[in-house]
Amino acid sequence: MATSSVPAVRTSRARWWREVGWRHVVGAAALLFALFPIVYVLSASVSVRGTLSAANSLFGTFTLDQYVSLLHDPLHPYVDWFVNTVVIASVTAVGTVLLGAAAAYAFSRFRFRGRRGGLLSLLLIQMFPQLLAYVAIFLLLIALENVFPILGRDSQVGLIMVYLGGALGVNTYLMYGFFNTIPRELDEAAMIDGASHAQIFFGMILRLTAPILAVVGLLSFIASFNDYVLASVLLNSPSKQTLAVGLYAFVSRQFAQNWGVFAAGAVLAAIPIVLLFQFLQRYIVSGLTAGSVKG
Amino acid sequence: MTTSTAVPPAPPAPPTTPTETSRRPRPESHARGALTMGYVAKLLLVALVDALGVYGIFAGSAHESWGIVGFLAFALLLVNLVYFVPSRRLIPAKYLVPGLLFLLVYQVFVVMYTGYTAFTNWGDGHNSTQSDAVTAILSQNERRVDGSPSYGLSVVEKGTTLGFAVVAPGKTPQVGTAASPLTDVPGATVANGVVTALPGYSVLDFSSIVQRQQEITNLRVPVSANPNDGSIRTTDGSVGYLYRSTYSYDAATGILTGPEGTYRADEKVGNFVDAKGQKIEPGWKVAVGFKNFTDVLTDSSLRGPFVSVLIWTFAFAILSVLLSFGLGLFLAITLNHPRVRGQRLYRSLLILPYAMPAFLSAVVWAGMFNQTFGFINTVLLRGASVPWLNDPWLAKGAVLLVNLWLGFPYMFLVCTGALQSIPADAIEAAKIDGASGPRIFRSITLPLLLVSTAPLLISSFAFNFNNFNIIYLLTQGGPRDLTAGVNVGSTDILISFVYKLAFQGVNRQYGLACAISILIFLIVASISAATFRRTRALEELN
Amino acid sequence: MRRSISVAAVLGMSLGLAACASSTPSGTATTSAAPAATTTLTVWVDDTRAPAVKAVAEEFTKETGTQFQFVQKDFGTMRDEFIAQAPTGKGPDIIVGANDWTGALVQNGVVEKVDLGDKASGFLDVALKGMSAGGQLYGLPYAYENIGLVRNTALVADAPTGTFDDLIAQGQALVTAGKVKYPVLIQQGDTGDAYHLYPIETSFGSVVFGKDAKGDYDPTQFTLGDPEGVAFASYVAKLGKLGILSKDINGDAARDLFAQGKAPFMVTGSWYIPDFTKAGIKVAVSPIPSAGGQPAAPFVGVQGFFLSSKSTNKLVAQKFFSYLATEAAQTKLFEVGGRVPALKAAADKAATDPVVGGFAKAGENGQVQPSIPAMGAVWQDWGLAEVGIAQGADPASTWTAAAASIKAKIAKG
Repeated sequence: MATSSVPAVRTSRARWWREVGWRHVVGAAALLFALFPIVYVLSASVSVRGTLSAANSLFGTFTLDQYVSLLHDPLHPYVDWFVNTVVIASVTAVGTVLLGAAAAYAFSRFRFRGRRGGLLSLLLIQMFPQLLAYVAIFLLLIALENVFPILGRDSQVGLIMVYLGGALGVNTYLMYGFFNTIPRELDEAAMIDGASHAQIFFGMILRLTAPILAVVGLLSFIASFNDYVLASVLLNSPSKQTLAVGLYAFVSRQFAQNWGVFAAGAVLAAIPIVLLFQFLQRYIVSGLTAGSVKG
Repeated sequence: MTTSTAVPPAPPAPPTTPTETSRRPRPESHARGALTMGYVAKLLLVALVDALGVYGIFAGSAHESWGIVGFLAFALLLVNLVYFVPSRRLIPAKYLVPGLLFLLVYQVFVVMYTGYTAFTNWGDGHNSTQSDAVTAILSQNERRVDGSPSYGLSVVEKGTTLGFAVVAPGKTPQVGTAASPLTDVPGATVANGVVTALPGYSVLDFSSIVQRQQEITNLRVPVSANPNDGSIRTTDGSVGYLYRSTYSYDAATGILTGPEGTYRADEKVGNFVDAKGQKIEPGWKVAVGFKNFTDVLTDSSLRGPFVSVLIWTFAFAILSVLLSFGLGLFLAITLNHPRVRGQRLYRSLLILPYAMPAFLSAVVWAGMFNQTFGFINTVLLRGASVPWLNDPWLAKGAVLLVNLWLGFPYMFLVCTGALQSIPADAIEAAKIDGASGPRIFRSITLPLLLVSTAPLLISSFAFNFNNFNIIYLLTQGGPRDLTAGVNVGSTDILISFVYKLAFQGVNRQYGLACAISILIFLIVASISAATFRRTRALEELN
Repeated sequence: MRRSISVAAVLGMSLGLAACASSTPSGTATTSAAPAATTTLTVWVDDTRAPAVKAVAEEFTKETGTQFQFVQKDFGTMRDEFIAQAPTGKGPDIIVGANDWTGALVQNGVVEKVDLGDKASGFLDVALKGMSAGGQLYGLPYAYENIGLVRNTALVADAPTGTFDDLIAQGQALVTAGKVKYPVLIQQGDTGDAYHLYPIETSFGSVVFGKDAKGDYDPTQFTLGDPEGVAFASYVAKLGKLGILSKDINGDAARDLFAQGKAPFMVTGSWYIPDFTKAGIKVAVSPIPSAGGQPAAPFVGVQGFFLSSKSTNKLVAQKFFSYLATEAAQTKLFEVGGRVPALKAAADKAATDPVVGGFAKAGENGQVQPSIPAMGAVWQDWGLAEVGIAQGADPASTWTAAAASIKAKIAKG
């Protein structure tokens, strides 16, 4: 799927419109819908008064003060938060992909008792309303910290472990569905060549399913990036907190005065996600699968 | 078989993921049983897990955390069994165990805890244990005796017994302990209104006071042999006041005596209750059986608007899924065309709504929908006054629109990923057979897509069924129906409705909220399970 | 899927924010104590109060060697999180909160009494009442705040002396002259805002709760639905017709409109003053005029420190509280945090600033914001009824229906 290849034959304008042009019209409309609230936030982040309603006159005023005060506030160590969040979300994403892919492999490639029920349970357990999650997890971590201090409160490792608790679930399904589209003949051929199930999993399946692993990794990254409840209950020291927790403090106030700073923080926070997406797009839209599945 | 070219050669592949945490097992090359790299890696990792587990069992025993010890013992046994017993039947377990252990610890625990809470009366006024309640009642009802002086106070020690040496303005210094009431001690040295030295006693300095502060704040020194005269206590170690408690508690009989009668501990309601049924706050947490569940089912304020809320909840959840999936799929297919340039750019920008923190987006949308000042009315509609969030039907539409905005990038992303997995040759073949675009979509693309995305759609339905945040941040369930006697609005879904019921009354009732959330879970889970069974047919397509 | 975020905070009617940062000179008086054992007090404080609290804590550390660990928590969720964590014994020693938490904290038995002894007489009565329940003090008050009438002195030079109707007329004249868009601003928003309307309501003689013999608010005497309340409701309808009260004018909108000079008057608190100053608006503050004949009494909110009943450092914490009750400490809190001190001596000093003094005068008639648990059932229905009436619902029936619904909730517990 080489998107950049130039068509060798020059097509007529009408045909171009019929085949390609309308797609750009749809794309532009979708962009408009997706981006205008974000443009609004961007405008609030550079407006002098830094309020939401001031953003009505889009980019009526321009200042970088909000960004400057965001980065120079000892009470809100934005840079620390940023680093913490990226580290926590990355480790969680890698862990989630590996745990989830392993489970999806088992469900997809082996037949065992309780397979159907197990799959369904994974889906259902994630539907449980997490109303009390923050209390339960808090109690759990108090108990754990006596035994393994690093898994306790105010520990980023502890928080990552909590996130990994959600590694199996709907994401496993996503991968499971994808794994099923990889023909089993490939496994069988490898078996004949003498590969073990582990070699097949690590050496072949993980490579062939790169697009979905990338999608799951990104989803997991975004989920822990935006988590507020658990991170705010478990991480106490300001320097250990995450972006969502820190930024939430700006808007949760009754008399929100910090819209501009908050908007600036949110704009910067979106950057790692966009960069990660850029990086992963290579895998998501790789065509690797299509190529190898052929034949 | 031409496919073997895609398979790595027979020697073990190097581990592809060197960054993984300790819990990941390494592959086993049982086919050969020799000391391959994979086997060594597995050995090392399991050894590490074993070492941590054994350490945890010892540390847990030392802290008497028997729950943790038990779980660790179980986990160790499981891990060693699964990775070292050579049985074909255990192979799937090798891939499932790591994730399942995390799931058990962190997710199942939450579910069980919620389940347990649903059977208790936990909430405001029933927050802790009975002994905490007794302490709180006694302390809250301890009154400073009106008109009594403040005493200059020193903490003194005789042997290992702590006592107070006190000086009332213009009086002789006195000393006493918990067991012996205050007596005059003329021999004391007094400076700045406090005793600084006392024969037979040592006077504690500030650092010793701090070290023993628990003992000191709990110490009560009676002023006379008659306990009703009250006792001296201190809160800061340097000033003492005369207190009299209006309540007393007899641990042996469990009877609490107050100025207006006696109260016994009623384990059914979790309060001290007198003969007339009068309760004292705070109470404590007790199991109440199915009371929370029967309360839900018999609550008249819940029953009234229940049907309309339930209908809207379903409409909201189903429409949210269909709309966002529809838009996401449409965009994925539209842009996933070899001749469309700038696909990467489109994709990067289209996921941006998903990259924004959700609470920010919801608040921004709420601001944009503001009737008088909002961006949509003032700028986009040039000064119109559309009551976006104030009209029952428009508010429903607005909520759906915002949820579409929040949800379609996810679906777009997933569909883009899934589209890549559809074998190109299947579509090529159909094209060669002369199938039209729509037909290819209907009979090849969509079914294949649904194989991997159907469970996602079900899960997305369940998520939206309980999507409290979007409703709460955008409309708080409003616009409110002022004629209904209950706090319910036209965009309230089940979970936001019960949230108001359980938490916005006089007391927050966690027990009730848990019971309701379990009921909601049962509804959602059975619908999902039923739908899921129907999608099994799809899978057979593959 | 997205993980959820807690949003209970958004609804909280907890009182607000950073106020005008004017400064008054102060000397740092110190009580002598030998630096000694190192105990660490864990304190939960939200980020707006953190600078002031940290500043006084530093002074206390210098004097006693006590160390502090500060945990920044969101103000809106802090109370509930504390109630859930305190019984485990792993919660903080001290939380910095507001007086309307007192009822729930005491009801759950998670806070310790505070004994100020003779120092109590130095505090404003309203501040002590705010932190008390059942006649006992449960928190150390450090600041209080209330709303008043803020006017744009470029548009209206002198403090209005007449009734609220006169005020509206004065504002309308400016609207007719094309100088402003709104005669007066009172923030409401989608769920209404009973807090900002309360002074007008009390001027009709309507109050939310009656008081018992001890002078505490009595949940059984819920009096919103009385004839005085209905009279107020029809006044709300009138304000709605005039366009003064509207769902659309929430705090953010009202603040911006005033900062743009689009209204001569605004009923608000000190928290927005810095924004007005930044926007170049010169303001003065005066008491809110009466609409119904009786004095307009705003709610007075109190900020303070609470001590956990499960703290293992109670003695040191109480020593810290004693220190916070000194004039030096209260003045320091004011200088850094800008909130009006609860200690009279420090408050008097602060009141030399005209804006602080103006709000203090507006709060002279003020009523303590009730902290009894029943208040939790009141805010939302109350505000929704008011904004509903302002949007055109029938005043009398809507008002009495809301009052009945609240009463039923209180009775149910």
